[in-house]
Amino acid sequence: MTTQQAQDSVVYSASLADVQELGILPKTGYLVPLKTKDELLASRETFDVYVVEVPAAFASAVLNVVRKAIPDLTTVNLQHLRRVVQLSFLPKQLQIQFSSAAQAWDRGSTTSQAVDGLGATIQPEIRYLLVSPTSLIALPNLLDVLAQNPPFLGSPVTPQVFTVPVPALAPTSSEQALQWSQEYWSISYKNTNPYGPHPSLVARNTAEIEPHAGTWLALAELAGEQIKEQGLGENIGCVIVDGTGKEEKVIAATGDTRWCSPDKIASLHRDGPGNVMAHAVLRAIAMVAKKRLRIANGPLESESTIVSSDSTVPHIFCDDPHTPLEHRFYLADNLTPNGYLCLDLDIYVTHEPCVMCSMAILHSRFRRCVFGRRMPLTGGLTAEIARFQESGIDEKKNLPQPSGGLGCGIFWRPSELNWKFLAWEWESDGGDEDRTGAVEDSIQA
Amino acid sequence: MNEQRGQHERFMREAIKMAELALATDETPVGCVFVKDGEIIGRGMNDTNRSLNGTRHAEFVALAQILAKHPVTILKETDLYVTVEPCVMCASALRQYGIRAVYFGCWNERFGGTGGVLTIHEDPSVDKPYPVYGGIFREEAIMLLRKFYVQENGKAPDPKQKKTRELKTDIIPLNIDTPKSY
Repeated sequence: MTTQQAQDSVVYSASLADVQELGILPKTGYLVPLKTKDELLASRETFDVYVVEVPAAFASAVLNVVRKAIPDLTTVNLQHLRRVVQLSFLPKQLQIQFSSAAQAWDRGSTTSQAVDGLGATIQPEIRYLLVSPTSLIALPNLLDVLAQNPPFLGSPVTPQVFTVPVPALAPTSSEQALQWSQEYWSISYKNTNPYGPHPSLVARNTAEIEPHAGTWLALAELAGEQIKEQGLGENIGCVIVDGTGKEEKVIAATGDTRWCSPDKIASLHRDGPGNVMAHAVLRAIAMVAKKRLRIANGPLESESTIVSSDSTVPHIFCDDPHTPLEHRFYLADNLTPNGYLCLDLDIYVTHEPCVMCSMAILHSRFRRCVFGRRMPLTGGLTAEIARFQESGIDEKKNLPQPSGGLGCGIFWRPSELNWKFLAWEWESDGGDEDRTGAVEDSIQA
Repeated sequence: MNEQRGQHERFMREAIKMAELALATDETPVGCVFVKDGEIIGRGMNDTNRSLNGTRHAEFVALAQILAKHPVTILKETDLYVTVEPCVMCASALRQYGIRAVYFGCWNERFGGTGGVLTIHEDPSVDKPYPVYGGIFREEAIMLLRKFYVQENGKAPDPKQKKTRELKTDIIPLNIDTPKSY
């Protein structure tokens, strides 16, 4: 580092204002939180339950009878399903089905009947009771149990039992609860999300990073384009931001250098994957590490101290800055000292990172990740699963057609992987040119 | 058949040497060698603590050595021997590079990418799948990890007090039905 550079690094904090001075036009759009693997599983699974029509006054009595008759009921989670529901709160198709089969309770001699002043009986208020999953009791047995207890005991009204599919797991948002209530059965939503980050956590973080996300993504695009212009890599870029302080700061900005040969010139042979370890995300993570080493040990005398005395080795990791833009952020000593890996940092990538880079983000303990364009054939963050067979094979390239995705959902699998972070995709509002399309679908970003 | 087994054990022995070197330098004891035509063309050990980079796994360190001297295409004729199952990140990197086969010691239940947690080596992908063979000197790989976990990691935030931790030496035999446990 020259004296001039050393002085620059002292004053240059790489703040939003510094980035804006580069003439970067923020992308316009908004953030969409990614669905987790478990959320998607939860949204698809249903099971069948029995529903019985009863007078409102008998609902809790029948429920008690059912609980006694089916001890296994305590082992299933029905908390997201309303157990006793009025007809008008049920989905339209159930309203039609149930009302067409409605019982004539007023003909019966049940004690629930209201008797008006003139001695005539009136129809009692009716409720629909969710009894149990069909897997817990056979229908004839259930009918027996019901018939032997009020209000059916001694009544001409026979129990009317329906079989209805319901969502197996709790909804993860109020929108989903509303949709399920219109589609399946009346659902209660408790503003929690057992299958992903809590909605209030997501909302708070979205509001926090949304104002400048378009700027960081635009900077990532610029970093990617500049390296691509040198023929060293694909048009993919990455920016790491520290959002913990009063002011966000750019810690690293990198492009992809997979086509950079060990002697630092553009490689002529573009067959195969190139240097996978030179993806933009891995380079940015490596630069954070080198900045940490610099803060801890003073300026790195030679980049070749890394790994071995063989000076060509570190170049394979491509963790030196290649462009003035990469240099600018690499030289800024703006990391909080004594930090651990990339804990509490945010990462912005122009494209959905490949499985390797997604896991590298997880290993590095990032806090939040935003990407620009989905990569259904190669991306590791999204949890949606491709339907390769249905969508067919592109015969020219012998590749599965892009549809859903690989289904990895690496950002939030807390029961399997030892870290989790929040992740969003960027949805452009069409106000600016989409420049991410220059990368082919089969590319690992 | 026996001769082949001898080959595999010989190379895994070399990988274990790298893991022992890692343990001696306060790195997570994972070691590996890459083998082409019966020759070791790269060696690596975990390097995350020294580099402050959580992605510097043994495989990456060895790959950097190899690619400094050879074209990427050499990996298509190269096998990896690694003491612990490759993580999801390394499993994906190896597939993108087109590795021929992977031999490993013990499974990685926390973030294994070739069967321990995910199956990145054979899932649908634009890249060619590769075969994996686990369980070679599994007990030794596990013991190396256990020795490390009773050492302190001063670099982690709030180092956990490990003084009370005991080095356990019993290893449950591998159950064919649940091959993930170590």
